Amino acid sequence: MNLFEKMKNIDRRYIYLVVALCIIIPLLIPFNSRTYVTDPTANLYKKIDSFAGKEDKAVLLSFSHDASTMAELFPMEVSILRHCFERNIKVFTICFSPPAAPLMAYALNVAKEDYPNLKSGVNYCNFGYKPAGLFLPIVLGMGDDVAEAVQTDADGRKIKNLEILKGIRNYDDLNLIIDFAASAAVFSWITYARVRFGANVAAGVTAVMAADNYPYLQSGQLVGMLSGLKGAAEYEKLVDVFAAYEDTEYPNGREFSPEVVKDTWVPIMSKKISYDSQGSVVQTNVDLPYKFKQARIGMNAQSIAHIMIIVFIILGNIGYFLTKKKTAEVS
Amino acid sequence: MLEFISNLVAVLLTLFIFSFLYKDNPFYRFAEHLLVGVSMGYAIPLVYINAFIPFVYRPIFLEGNFWLIIPSCIGILYIFRFTRNLSWLSRYPIAFGMGIVGMGVPMSMHSSVLVQMRNAMLPIDNINTLLIFIGTVSILLYFYFSKPHKGLYGKFTNIGIWFMMVGFGASFGYTVMARISLLIGRVQFILGDFLGLIK
Repeated sequence: MNLFEKMKNIDRRYIYLVVALCIIIPLLIPFNSRTYVTDPTANLYKKIDSFAGKEDKAVLLSFSHDASTMAELFPMEVSILRHCFERNIKVFTICFSPPAAPLMAYALNVAKEDYPNLKSGVNYCNFGYKPAGLFLPIVLGMGDDVAEAVQTDADGRKIKNLEILKGIRNYDDLNLIIDFAASAAVFSWITYARVRFGANVAAGVTAVMAADNYPYLQSGQLVGMLSGLKGAAEYEKLVDVFAAYEDTEYPNGREFSPEVVKDTWVPIMSKKISYDSQGSVVQTNVDLPYKFKQARIGMNAQSIAHIMIIVFIILGNIGYFLTKKKTAEVS
Repeated sequence: MLEFISNLVAVLLTLFIFSFLYKDNPFYRFAEHLLVGVSMGYAIPLVYINAFIPFVYRPIFLEGNFWLIIPSCIGILYIFRFTRNLSWLSRYPIAFGMGIVGMGVPMSMHSSVLVQMRNAMLPIDNINTLLIFIGTVSILLYFYFSKPHKGLYGKFTNIGIWFMMVGFGASFGYTVMARISLLIGRVQFILGDFLGLIK
């Protein structure tokens, strides 16, 4: 029995062990892998950024998933909320499934921790959980009057009395809906909000759902899309490079530029090198909270796991053809 | 302390679920059943508070909108699904549901068919539009079964298979990525949030 025949009969639990090691080791010993930003992510970033500081524009985040897909969707939710908070963009959140309600509140709480001046009902508003049976009345109703369709927020307040609703009446103002989904929920927003009212719709989806959404992206019915952990990592980078960027020239972030994003590499695990008065090198840790680089750290492990899978596929195919050749020779 | 205990419970349940990779065992089955029970136990009161109280109890009993009794009774007919003799009654609320689905047909026709068709009819002025043209036509012809797939026609429809294979490959790649991401999420939780080993 040669090596490949032995490998064909290997206990699959050894494969699981290798997969586990390929994921655990890069997480424990992190490295700086590069993150390349794709057009669907950049387009969504630019769309959100175009609302910066505007009283009469807002973003609606719809949470259509449960905890099982949090690994992919939570980092992108936090990144988009961080972007909105950094650029003073009004944000509304809503969900139509019970398991999404605590995840929505959790994402909001995690993102706003670093922004103590933000106020619920002024800078952001959580519409809370609405029963699935009300999906159509609310989605269609928001085309005429958001306050009338949604009525109350998660805290039971009448939203028509909230300060955040000044200048926001319908989809002309609530002009971007981003659905975070592990299902086909995005299509419902396209069907009802986009087709009926011309609202801009974007998707933050699990990688499994990404392939299904590409035709809508190609036809322009989605203004942008974040696909799985990779999309989240790309968005994290964009927020770091532009919205949350700070230096003496740009004290409050800077505008999107394709050249800057192409040339800029944001190390997630690094030491900032500076020089003291004697000219000696001083190294300090880059202080980026874990929650704002979670997807990029995860992509380290993802990259190693993908290389491992490719190696397995190549080995499997070599073994298959060698065994086939040997069988043919014997017969 | 409370956060530590809740994280510890989450870590233990994660390990219980992963133990299935070794072999089926009582710990895995316990975690599986707990998940189903907790999900239902969480959803029922949430729906009761957010759907039944504001849309049935409060309008009927506190605000006197007695006409709402009619749709409420139609909704209750769903329960007869579980009886053998009267299960036909559950078809009435289903019929209302289907009516609402029908409302979306023209709009989904627009988004899923008409707009997609319009974008498949672009001028062939670059390699992408050429590929879209060949792919769309060859796949559509592959699913046209009134003509045998033989000769030149059969070769052209075979191109459709290749396009579909590329599509399936992309879907498979994304699926692998998604599954690995889920595992990464759990490992990040155990190593990062619980053990504090990831900074």
